Amino acid sequence: MLYSIFMESAGPLQSDRWEDSDLARMVLSSPPGQARDAEDELYRRLAPRVRLYGLRHLRDEQAAADLTHQVLLITIETLRERRLREPDRIVSFVLGTSRLVVRDWRRGAIRQERHLQEFGRSVPVMTTFETPELDHRQLSSCLQRLHERERSVLIMTFYAEGTTGEVADQLGLSAENVRVIRHRALGKVRECMTGGRETS
Amino acid sequence: MYDRRKGDVVNSSRCANPLAPGLLADYWLEELPMTDEEQVEEHLFSCADCSGVLQGMVDLIKAIRELTRKGLVAVTVSESFLERLRGEGLNVRQYRVAPGGGVACTITDQDDLVISRLAADLTSAKRVDISQCDAEGNEQSRIRDVPLTGARNEVVFSQSTTVLRALGKQRLRLKLIAVDDSEERVLGEYTFDHTPSRS
Repeated sequence: MLYSIFMESAGPLQSDRWEDSDLARMVLSSPPGQARDAEDELYRRLAPRVRLYGLRHLRDEQAAADLTHQVLLITIETLRERRLREPDRIVSFVLGTSRLVVRDWRRGAIRQERHLQEFGRSVPVMTTFETPELDHRQLSSCLQRLHERERSVLIMTFYAEGTTGEVADQLGLSAENVRVIRHRALGKVRECMTGGRETS
Repeated sequence: MYDRRKGDVVNSSRCANPLAPGLLADYWLEELPMTDEEQVEEHLFSCADCSGVLQGMVDLIKAIRELTRKGLVAVTVSESFLERLRGEGLNVRQYRVAPGGGVACTITDQDDLVISRLAADLTSAKRVDISQCDAEGNEQSRIRDVPLTGARNEVVFSQSTTVLRALGKQRLRLKLIAVDDSEERVLGEYTFDHTPSRS
């Protein structure tokens, strides 16, 4: 089998030498459920991206986690059943599935439980996502180094995730000005937090 | 079409065409046109480096929210922002002081935020600074160019609860100073007689 050739020739899957599409091919070319390492690695790589998509569109940690699990269940089942014809498009498939699931959730057309019952067999599950705890003391210090306007814009923007227009109205600034200040402030804080290893 | 390098370039990513942080912030805040948003998502799904940068930004935003909720950042805010915080159930202690006035103040264990409302006529000021002074009125530090919100009749300032909780019994003075070109004028002086809470 292609999968065993991959495994024998290449070593660990948690490596940059395998593209996402390579992993998809391994699953496609194996009997269902027999390419667990490739499935696990695909899950490990793609879960954080789906979760971010979920956070952005659903604005809820639990909903984003549920979305991640559901999308990757569908993805892996689709690979196992060899219904994905172009493994090079695995990432597009995952993004498209994420969009469809979110859209369907919003419409209330698909019950999440149905998918979990239907597909939730022996598929890897990432139940927790490692998000590093930022040093609050350092962040507080970085925020205090900003100009007052920058600090106000940053906090009023990101606390409430308000629109640029809303923040501009509240602070008596133009929307473009708020956008510029926000970008500059965010760059300063990121640089401060990383000790200059990143620039804005 | 979005310009992926709009703003400055980027980070230590290995990505050949990294998305600029400003673009990622606009994406997160839902401020991109639909077509640009779709292109950003396609890139993020295919690029672990850029999705990692966005994840870092999201972690930062989350931490900023936590610091704000705990009152750990001293910052000028708007009335509607305060209303939102109160609406989320935070205990907000407020002191409104008129020019030349004073107030006895404290912070308790139950307080999440302490707000100073410094009243003044700000309508003609181009720029306003807050001068933080000792009991004798000598300037110790200055917050420059505070944003002027709402009706321009007060500055609404959230004090750092960490700083306030560490204070002993003491008198603090604040001044609002209008800075116009080359000259400064005092818009108001405000006295805070702080006493630590017994709770």
